[in-house]
Amino acid sequence: MTFKRKLLQALAATTLTGLTGAAQAHFQMLYLEETALQRAEKLEFALVFTHPFSGGPTMAMNEPRAFSHSSSHGGEKVDLRKYLRPVEWQSRDNRTTAYRASIPRELVRSLGDHIFVLEPEPYLETEEDVYIQQFAKLIVNVGGVPSNWAEPQGLPVEIQPLNKPYANWTGGVFRAVVLADGKPVPFAEVEIEYVNHSVDLEKNAFGQQDYVTAPQASFKAQNTYADAQGIVTIGLPRAGWWGIAALDIGATKTYKGKPLSQDAVLWVQARDMK
Amino acid sequence: MKFIGSALRLAMAGALAFCQATFAHGPVFDCYIEGDNQVKCEAGFTDGSSATGRKIHVQDPSNKVLLEGEVGKDNTYMFQPPAGNYSVVFLGGAGHEITIQSSDISR
Repeated sequence: MTFKRKLLQALAATTLTGLTGAAQAHFQMLYLEETALQRAEKLEFALVFTHPFSGGPTMAMNEPRAFSHSSSHGGEKVDLRKYLRPVEWQSRDNRTTAYRASIPRELVRSLGDHIFVLEPEPYLETEEDVYIQQFAKLIVNVGGVPSNWAEPQGLPVEIQPLNKPYANWTGGVFRAVVLADGKPVPFAEVEIEYVNHSVDLEKNAFGQQDYVTAPQASFKAQNTYADAQGIVTIGLPRAGWWGIAALDIGATKTYKGKPLSQDAVLWVQARDMK
Repeated sequence: MKFIGSALRLAMAGALAFCQATFAHGPVFDCYIEGDNQVKCEAGFTDGSSATGRKIHVQDPSNKVLLEGEVGKDNTYMFQPPAGNYSVVFLGGAGHEITIQSSDISR
């Protein structure tokens, strides 16, 4: 199914962007401007299902099944769905439904790590008649005190970081374990994509200007595999946001009578040394 | 040989412990107002080590200590804020002192 999905993605991209179009990956973005905070502040999230390197096309999201937060203080999961609001998101290619969330400072003012998890409704990729559901995770730190950033969150599919996702220098290496039902997935197929444009939270839009130009289509989404222990290692050659997606690793393979790809996404932020 | 090995190991362990205590972590401290108008402070270190038992002072503008307490097992300290301006000092060890002014403490 993964090969078929890639083939159809490539065909769709070619249709949309002409002969120079490129294979590109779906990524459930869970975005905010800064993940390493000196002090707690209100967090402005954007939840967009898109192709981050190309800035679109963006796929319509239905109301997420779950959006939650947990921290080392108390440890319990807090349901954040009441903070979600649908918006019309402007990508390069189209305008469609995404979500925003304003999380009050009171919920994230504890020192340490704050783990945000999004479980979206499965998305029907009509061209190939399959559903895609990407469990996305993003970790915020307040004050520089490390706490539970490396702890799995008990998701059906998940990427468990082995480096702090919020404390990475440009040029560094990032490692993580691909998990399904809490167990490592040997040789899991992994895609990595860079958010290659600005994200305008005022206008609910992606910037029109690419940060970098891919010399050829295969540079838009990097592809690799986890090793025999399920560990994936990537480089971070540029400051900004990097998405890591492990594809079709869930135990649930069908939804509403159609094939389902359950993917795990983790967002990593890199900063320049300056 | 065995004695030398043990002595070296002890010396290395001592050096490591000293380095960790002195250089490997920095103090972190923040305070905010809880729902019942108590001030809750959190203390910690950047290497994740506990601040439990470390002293906290609440001082008036002339640095007179109004309240003295210890960081609890959950790395927090709560107090009823005094009237007027005050500061909260986390005494995290040598060179590890952090002061927060009441004007920087909010919900």
